[in-house]
Amino acid sequence: MLAISGIDLAAFFATYLGDYDWVPAAVLFASWETLYMVFLSTAVSYLVGMPLAIILVTSEKGHILENLQLNQVLGSIVNAVRSLPFIILLILAIPFTRWVVGTSIGTVASIVPLSLAAIPFVARLVETSLKEIDWGLIEAALSMGASNWQIISKVLLPEAMPSVVLGVAITAINLVGYSAMAGVLGGGGLGTLAYYHGYMRYQTGIMWITVIVLIVIVQGIQMLGDKAAGRIINKRR
Amino acid sequence: MRKTLSIALIACLILALGLAAGCGQQAEQTDPDKQAGKTPEKQATEKLVVGAIGEPHTAMLKMVKPKLAEQGVEMEIKDFTDYPQLNPALNDKQIDANFFQHIPYLEDFNAKTNSKLVWTVKIHTEPMRIYSQKIDKLDKLADGAIVGIPNDPTNSGRALAVLQSAGLIKLKEDAGVTATERDIVENPKNLEIKMADAATLPRVLQDAAICCINTNYALDAGLDPAKAVFVEPGDSPFANVVVVRPEDKDKDSIVKLGKALQSPEIADFLKTNYPAVVLAF
Repeated sequence: MLAISGIDLAAFFATYLGDYDWVPAAVLFASWETLYMVFLSTAVSYLVGMPLAIILVTSEKGHILENLQLNQVLGSIVNAVRSLPFIILLILAIPFTRWVVGTSIGTVASIVPLSLAAIPFVARLVETSLKEIDWGLIEAALSMGASNWQIISKVLLPEAMPSVVLGVAITAINLVGYSAMAGVLGGGGLGTLAYYHGYMRYQTGIMWITVIVLIVIVQGIQMLGDKAAGRIINKRR
Repeated sequence: MRKTLSIALIACLILALGLAAGCGQQAEQTDPDKQAGKTPEKQATEKLVVGAIGEPHTAMLKMVKPKLAEQGVEMEIKDFTDYPQLNPALNDKQIDANFFQHIPYLEDFNAKTNSKLVWTVKIHTEPMRIYSQKIDKLDKLADGAIVGIPNDPTNSGRALAVLQSAGLIKLKEDAGVTATERDIVENPKNLEIKMADAATLPRVLQDAAICCINTNYALDAGLDPAKAVFVEPGDSPFANVVVVRPEDKDKDSIVKLGKALQSPEIADFLKTNYPAVVLAF
């Protein structure tokens, strides 16, 4: 199936791994499942979490869209979801997951609880980034007659962008960890492979292989995040 | 403010300590009616300490206790609270027999701790059953249907064996109790086997065509075992057994205990009170 520079990898694995010749393919497939779950749930969580963060920041006392009631309600919802242990959220979300994707088991299904867990996290993370912006900048834009929408799109978001991009890396890495629990609902991925084969079946080798792959993935995500944030900062200079 | 906080903290601490102490006491709690067996006319009584955990095991032991007393065996029932303590307690001679585990659990314990404990009699099985919300008969199972099975080693192997008994798949001859999906050699219906946590299977039952579910989780989730589409056969290795130290296997009191537990009264008791359970004798 795989052939690199004349060596038949499948045959190579079969010769040297014996009973474990299924491991490379399993690790590869599990890595794909992990990346798939993490990428999509990060995307969904930012799609929802970013606007949520903007509302949280701008509805604060003294901000451009002050609305204390809304702020408090959203804040409490965010806190409530964040206080749920992920494993419980995973199970509580089953009916919702089924409603959204039609099933509650499998890799696609686990994107729903992963996103649900990440949305409030993203909201707080982006909120923090937005709050770092010097109020003077917003005041200046206001005095020049900028509309609320302009403040958000021309001041808040561009100013916070490097920090937001770094937050994406933090979120994605968090989701790599969360995705390990997707095995509870048949989601697969590296964490499931490590836990149910490596740990529970005492196949320690598999556990270590998956741990190494996970380290590589996490390093990769962080590097991408750092690079992207650096590029934005460089452009400003 | 600070005062109330510290009072609350102290209260929590006391409560936690109290709970911990309570648990410790419970673990050592012995059967309260152990004195009942001290009938003066029995001279050559043999003492027998049996460890068990929860129902129906302790209830069954209590039922056979008077019968054993008639036969000159004074049995003391030790009700444990923690599964992992029972086999070490037997090894350490704190108890003479225990009754809580199935054979694969025993074999796993023996292998991991280098012990040589043996089982004497099979009593009952809490069978794994195949449940479905979509079909009422297994032969209605569609090609390529999704089959949910537990994902932990013992339960997934057990589920695969159940699927084999149901004639749905065929496993390698030497697959054993910890079979994996890679041991499937024939899958004529192209079933798509999905693994999920044993306790979540009842919750995701509607997302699969069939699921293999352990009795305890099925009962907890309110599934009716009578409506299952397939029941694990009684000859499964997952029968609950009486376990003793190897040298005691043929000891008089142990043999008497085994015979008493395999009596028609126990069979009746299980049938009436635990209809989900299958007899293994």
